[in-house]
Amino acid sequence: MSADNHIVFDDVSKFYGDVLGVNRVQLSIPPGITTLVGPNGSGKTTLMNLMTGLVQPTRGRIRVLGIAPDDPERLFRLLGYCTQFDSFPKSLTGYDFLYTTLRLHGKGHAEACELSRNALERVNMTEAAGRRIASYSKGMRQRIKLAQAICHRPSVLVLDEPLNGLDPMARAETIALFRALAREGLHIVISSHILHEVDRISDQVVLLSNGYVVAEGQIQAVRGEMHQEHPLQVLVRCTQPGLLAARLFAQDHVVEVKMHNDRQGLLVSTRDPDLFYELLNQLVVEGAVELSSVAPADDDVHSVYEYLIGAEGGAA
Amino acid sequence: MAVYKRGYEGYQGRLTPQWSRALVIARQAYRRVFDSRLMIVFLVLASIAPVVYGILIYLPHNTGALQIFNFRSLLSIDAGFFYHFISGQAFLAFLLTAYLGPGLISADLANNALPLYFCRPFSRTEYVLGKMSVLAILLSAITWVPGLLLFAFQSYLEGFAWFRANFYIATAIFLGSWIWILLLSLLALAMSAWVKWKLAAGALIVGLVWAAAGFAAAMEQMLHTESGGLISILKDMDAVWYSLFRLPNSTGLPFEGAVGALVAVSALSLCLLGRKIRACEVERS
Repeated sequence: MSADNHIVFDDVSKFYGDVLGVNRVQLSIPPGITTLVGPNGSGKTTLMNLMTGLVQPTRGRIRVLGIAPDDPERLFRLLGYCTQFDSFPKSLTGYDFLYTTLRLHGKGHAEACELSRNALERVNMTEAAGRRIASYSKGMRQRIKLAQAICHRPSVLVLDEPLNGLDPMARAETIALFRALAREGLHIVISSHILHEVDRISDQVVLLSNGYVVAEGQIQAVRGEMHQEHPLQVLVRCTQPGLLAARLFAQDHVVEVKMHNDRQGLLVSTRDPDLFYELLNQLVVEGAVELSSVAPADDDVHSVYEYLIGAEGGAA
Repeated sequence: MAVYKRGYEGYQGRLTPQWSRALVIARQAYRRVFDSRLMIVFLVLASIAPVVYGILIYLPHNTGALQIFNFRSLLSIDAGFFYHFISGQAFLAFLLTAYLGPGLISADLANNALPLYFCRPFSRTEYVLGKMSVLAILLSAITWVPGLLLFAFQSYLEGFAWFRANFYIATAIFLGSWIWILLLSLLALAMSAWVKWKLAAGALIVGLVWAAAGFAAAMEQMLHTESGGLISILKDMDAVWYSLFRLPNSTGLPFEGAVGALVAVSALSLCLLGRKIRACEVERS
């Protein structure tokens, strides 16, 4: 795939005086939904500010679909940014806010009116468009912020904690919107603390800790690289857990087997999931066990986060 | 990763010229300004002097009025006349700045709104120009615009010879007003950027102008020097007005020195703005 279709960080570092923002970041973000995950102060917002040109890198080079972030006239035609702050003039109505935003983007009056209406419709805020933002709930303010990021029809969306403050219904709608935009081919870069939703949203994740990228890629692929240090846990529900446990203990790659409290299942830790699944298939074919379900227990973002960043990650 | 089919079309339409985007900020600010009754009352009051001065210009040219009283012997329409008009309006401009200026940037800083502005094709310079234009347009409306209208009125009544002989008055009105407008705007924006509490920022603007004048007077008394007046913005500006209107300079300050002092204040204000107007505020630990 061409680098012009990626967001590329080439050995990027950012220092605020003596304070490290991010260090030696090497990333190539393809279209789809990419989530930045990390504790407070890990460098998520710095990374977003770097790709939007709001701060300049101390070292390294950034290209957003082939455009340097220090060229705002070209960059912001194709990029929409939603900050984590409620940063709007509260005396404006939702519609006025979007209209003004679009005029700042250089849209004429007629285009600004039409694009404002489209964006309001997309975030389901048409009915509240005439009300002052000061009277909006937290969820509505999040949605109007999202609308200002998408209203000029950008190709790249950078969204800092866009799900904060949304009720479950609005959250589901917003995630559906992200998925729809990603399906259309947009790059969507999100930072989030809500790890179980990161799993639902993301095509790939970037895990950050203390300014360093500690892992990136599809979460299962990242998890796959960690099997030696952190064996994969698989929950197996079956009819003969004792027999299955006995067969598993004979395998070198199985490091732990725990019987479920109801004695109807096992939690298996294995360093080689492929061999484990092969054995399980064999036992089923032999008729030794009857399976009702098999599911990995720790190949999600939360587990990867715990293993790589640890409990000191705090906020997550 | 999911395989996405690119069906999304970014915006391909026409864009407005880059220079016009700063005015979006001014237009938004004016909506708030004209929502305020106090502002409307103030602008009405500020238009009283131009009307009065217009009548004073007209009366010496009205034969009916001249039969009642010889206004020409009482009032001469010259550089001094226009100086008095413009210095009165300049004082109103100062009051307007102290009232309106403090809220221009402080609200954006308090709301963390600067990243919102700067994640558009919009630079820090354009942001400052946009905010300045809010004051500049309003202050123009009460200073040089009515001043030049009065000058044009007098020229119309007196004829082209008067216009040609007194063209420097129009230049003085225009140039002097702009120096004052730029100075006040920069000072107000700098205070607004550094002092988040509007009332305190307004007080600081008044303090910087009036307290500096008092301090300068005390300095002159104690050190028996006239150059102490350079730290007084009011005295510096007076020296500029006198020079532009070709009137006797009673401030004792040289024109170049006064201009230098005003440029220094403006440069300092710009530095203060440059330090504060940033897309991201970084906390150093």
